[in-house]
Amino acid sequence: MIEDLLQSSPGWANFGIFFLLAVVLLLVVLGFVTYGILAERKVMGFMQLRHGPNQVGGRWGLLQTVADVLKLLLKEDIIPKAVDRPLFILAPVIAFAPSFMVLATLPFTDKFQFADIGVGLLYYIAVSGLTVFGMLLGGWASNNKYALLGGMRAAAQMISYEIPLVMSVLGVILLSGSLNLNEIVARQEHGWFMFLQPIGFIVFFIASIAELNRTPFDLPESENELVAGFHVEYSGFRWAFFMLSEYVYLFGMSTLITVVFLGGWLAPFGLTFIPGAIWFALKFSVVVFVYIWLRSTLPRFRADRLMEFGWKVLLPIALANIFLTAILKTIFGA
Amino acid sequence: MIFTGEFLAFMGLALVAIIGGVLLLNLNKVIHMVVALIFTFVAIAGIYVLLSAEFVAAVQILIYSGAITIIMLFGIMLTKHDDESEAKSGKWRKLFLFLGILGFAFAVYIGIYNFNVEQVPTKLHENNTLQIGEALYSKYIIPFELTSVLLLVALVGSIILAKNDKKKEADKE
Repeated sequence: MIEDLLQSSPGWANFGIFFLLAVVLLLVVLGFVTYGILAERKVMGFMQLRHGPNQVGGRWGLLQTVADVLKLLLKEDIIPKAVDRPLFILAPVIAFAPSFMVLATLPFTDKFQFADIGVGLLYYIAVSGLTVFGMLLGGWASNNKYALLGGMRAAAQMISYEIPLVMSVLGVILLSGSLNLNEIVARQEHGWFMFLQPIGFIVFFIASIAELNRTPFDLPESENELVAGFHVEYSGFRWAFFMLSEYVYLFGMSTLITVVFLGGWLAPFGLTFIPGAIWFALKFSVVVFVYIWLRSTLPRFRADRLMEFGWKVLLPIALANIFLTAILKTIFGA
Repeated sequence: MIFTGEFLAFMGLALVAIIGGVLLLNLNKVIHMVVALIFTFVAIAGIYVLLSAEFVAAVQILIYSGAITIIMLFGIMLTKHDDESEAKSGKWRKLFLFLGILGFAFAVYIGIYNFNVEQVPTKLHENNTLQIGEALYSKYIIPFELTSVLLLVALVGSIILAKNDKKKEADKE
């Protein structure tokens, strides 16, 4: 359907359809973010023997995040006097826009996908790298030492961990022979890449946590060292934008891991009577759960250890994985 | 003139790229310039997509996003916090500059307006990632390897430089 739309002649009707589709996707993502945050608080609560939100919206706190978002939107928009005004305003937008752009190429099921481009995997990694500007700029524009330190840490961390992230998927690309996400899923008919590429999977998962700035790699916003990192000076809906982009990336990265390593919408054990969308949702939820689980169990890294871990442990392992994969592929054939 | 979607997209991207370039030259603070640079690079990546060079576009963003971040960090660390470049200009200077720009624009206009680009049908837009790979590893294998050796030398060199500093500091203490 999208394919036909892309090739049709442009016009207002066309524009309207695209706009509508984008709005629908945005609403779906916002819905995920709302309940993703609730799920995170609930799961972390249970893991720490607490209840988590249980007041607003019934026993399960179903409206807690909605109330929080309303609070954020109604807050006074404070722009401190000493900030670099244009950049301070621009930074949340630069941080958020790429997070939504990456969703355009992700295949959720074989039919529900917006753009099917040849280099989907590379596109995701490249565009998601743009967010670091938003963080760095926000940190710099705030004119606050903690914010600047947070921004610098964000830049150092995201650039360092992008390299093992790319290197670890190279094994998958070698095996599937394509950068296209649909073809990568199609190649997993007889075995998920999680089992064919266990080393690559683990490296990718660790690096992805660092890219998402989540504990144990949440140094850019570590609250007990840097107050809140790069977004100390932000409040109200500008802060909400940073938060939103973080959770949209959680959505995007979980989708990417599901697609690249867990076989996307393909049904395991030949259970094809259950539709692909449900399988996708199941695998996706498991990945999100593991992220939340890790967040509530692991302590934060020290800044220098973090860099050493990225460059001296993850990168060599990822390189060795590429080497190993190439050898195995040559021996056993494609 | 027919307004196709491609045309609109190209105009938008080209405008962003050029405005970014102009702002890069005209803004006063280092960080603002870097932001302008980001817009230019991303817009150029967009133009690559329009030319169906997806791989080049993705790599452009991937490489430059890292590179610009580093420039930005240097901008923050190596310049004074509130430093602004001072504009120096005289009347005559401006006039000559304007004449120079006019002359350049005229020369480019004459050069480009009747420039005949032969339309050769190619298959470059199909599977271009695959084609780039094949060309790199068959036709251009020696330049490719030489480039990687060059990069390796640069990497080793930078590590040696960084190591030396550490040793001296340790000696001082």
